[in-house]
Amino acid sequence: MIRIKMIANYRAVLPPEAKHGVIEIDVPDGTTVYEAISRFDIPLNDESVIVLNGLTVDMNTPLKEGDMVTAFSAIAGG
Amino acid sequence: MYGWHLKLLRVNLTTHKVTTEDVDPQIARDYLGGRGWAIHYLYKEMNPAVDPLSPENILIFATGPLTATPAPTGNRYMVVTKSPLTGALAHSNSGGEFPTWMKRTGFDLFIFEGKASEPVYVLVNEDQVEVRSAAHVWGKDTHETTDILKAETSAEARVACIGPAGENLALMAAIMNDKHRAAARSGVGAVMGSKNLKAVVAMGNKNPPLHDTEGMRAISVETSKNVGADVKKGSNMRIYGTSYVPQVTNTLGILPTRNFLQGTFEHVHNVDGDALKDQYLIRHTPCYRCPLSCGRLTEVPDGPYKGKGEGPEYETISSLGTGCGVSNLAALVKANYLCNEYGMDTITTGMTIAVAMEMYEKGYISEELIGMPLKFGDHDAMIAMIKKMAYNEGFGKDLAMGSYRLAEKYGHPELAVTTRKQEFPGYDPRGSQGMGLLYATSNKGASHMEGDVAYEEVFGVPVKENPHSTEGKPELVKHFQDSFALIDSSGLCVFVAIRYVFDKNRLIWPQTLATMMNLSTGAGYTPEEVMKAADRVYTLERMFLIKAGSGPEWDVLPYRMLHEPLPDGPAKGMVAELDKMLPEFYEKRGWDEKGYPTKEKLMELGLPIN
Ligand code: SF4
Repeated sequence: MIRIKMIANYRAVLPPEAKHGVIEIDVPDGTTVYEAISRFDIPLNDESVIVLNGLTVDMNTPLKEGDMVTAFSAIAGG
Repeated sequence: MYGWHLKLLRVNLTTHKVTTEDVDPQIARDYLGGRGWAIHYLYKEMNPAVDPLSPENILIFATGPLTATPAPTGNRYMVVTKSPLTGALAHSNSGGEFPTWMKRTGFDLFIFEGKASEPVYVLVNEDQVEVRSAAHVWGKDTHETTDILKAETSAEARVACIGPAGENLALMAAIMNDKHRAAARSGVGAVMGSKNLKAVVAMGNKNPPLHDTEGMRAISVETSKNVGADVKKGSNMRIYGTSYVPQVTNTLGILPTRNFLQGTFEHVHNVDGDALKDQYLIRHTPCYRCPLSCGRLTEVPDGPYKGKGEGPEYETISSLGTGCGVSNLAALVKANYLCNEYGMDTITTGMTIAVAMEMYEKGYISEELIGMPLKFGDHDAMIAMIKKMAYNEGFGKDLAMGSYRLAEKYGHPELAVTTRKQEFPGYDPRGSQGMGLLYATSNKGASHMEGDVAYEEVFGVPVKENPHSTEGKPELVKHFQDSFALIDSSGLCVFVAIRYVFDKNRLIWPQTLATMMNLSTGAGYTPEEVMKAADRVYTLERMFLIKAGSGPEWDVLPYRMLHEPLPDGPAKGMVAELDKMLPEFYEKRGWDEKGYPTKEKLMELGLPIN
């Protein structure tokens, strides 16, 4: 089981059972960050920022039990 | 001349004498406008060592060559003066409508000198300039003041004013324009208050003539189209303003929480953009001619925090909210309204209360002193403190000095999270290293608005940088500092400039902005020239700091950032690694190893050597 977190406008791609933008999903062993996040309808280019457990990682990093992949739209603000 | 009026208005508040002056076209070109022109005049005319709250300090309102042009977000002005909070430079940016109206008076710059003997406001209706009594609005909040002054001048006028906080010289006092927009940071409102200047009212029809009106129209349409395409796709800035950011920084573990004791907040979903949107958002509100429209009109319809106004933006959530451990959104929204009405910078206000909360919890200050318990998360106490600060009542007197002086007075300077005595904004530099270097070296003290490398470290704009790495950050920080000096001098808003005007490729980065400035002014700038001019502006500001007594010895980070590793989140165990970046940064800036601009650098930029 891993967790997917979508922030702000990206929450729209999650199923209704998501709580505060987070859902749990089961993925086969060896699934990478890229493979897990590509199940969701968000741009997988430089329009999105994707982090693993809050860290900047290679998209080919394999996931471990309990990991959290978070995605948000790359946009200036703050 | 085009784009710029090349005219400044000078008002001596002591004598009420009003003069107008021409701006030398070469100076205009070399210093770009806005923030650049302002530091040119400030450095030339004022001893940087003056007491910031004395009549000798000069207060400058400065528009840029793109203000009041069709350029999208050409709606900004800068307030530049010596800061009473930091003792360094203050340059605070604001949008809304006032800056456009100010430029339509036919002047690019207003310079206020001296001190009025009684409260006054200045009405500028093109060439008709009057210094009028403000006795009837002194003591009133920014909203009432704005309404009264518009009613007695014109519905067509726009107002920038201070509230009680500025009158009472609170060091976090802001200058509010159009009620809800703030030139917030570094105590610019206290400088206005020290001059007995309650408000500036601007009106007129003198749009600056443009060098190439058709070209400007075309490039503006093009830029607005790109913004519009994002808005159509569901841009967070349109839907949430910056209030979506707490979820981002919480995910990265750099969300200021309980005076930076933590980097994540367990109740973040109570105070994030979704909560705000679902509960209190009425609609988005734009500054003048902004296709992005990131402002939020909100309302708490009933209950003890009932009210209506604008905000909160991210920086307010991360200071008055998570910074104070506050998770009651209605109270946080109300606190934001109060800061706007009293005329206060929410960042310094919130983070000063946060320090007081930590001092109270640690037993360094007593309930007796404060007048009530002041625990993290106590939103009613937080609101009570805001009022005390604005009105200088009781313990509010201590709070109104900001967190650095507060912590020092009660023997715990290590608790103040400041640089150059100014409170940190919403990115913990232990988990965003570039931001640490930025805060340590910023000419206005800790600020994200002086070269926000969080755009790359946090938001991936225009490219993603690893926030934990120090590598390449000196170059990045310099590049962003110069870029922000350029934007602040041009009259555009950074939100749109960084994302939609600057190129991803750093080599041709400012090309479109240079083109816009040329279409406006006809100056024929190359991209290299505008970046060099921005470097000139930044370096002259540094010279001001050195003479003001806020030189390289202040290029430091506070104790907590260097010695207390983050206890939680993805950046757990990390501290800010300033010493790894500072020497290379000095080198990149053309400063010597001690942090002073070299003679060669000053000559290269055409700056005075002494
Ligand atoms: S992006 Fe926001 S702050 Fe900037 S001009 Fe537009 S509405 Fe104003």
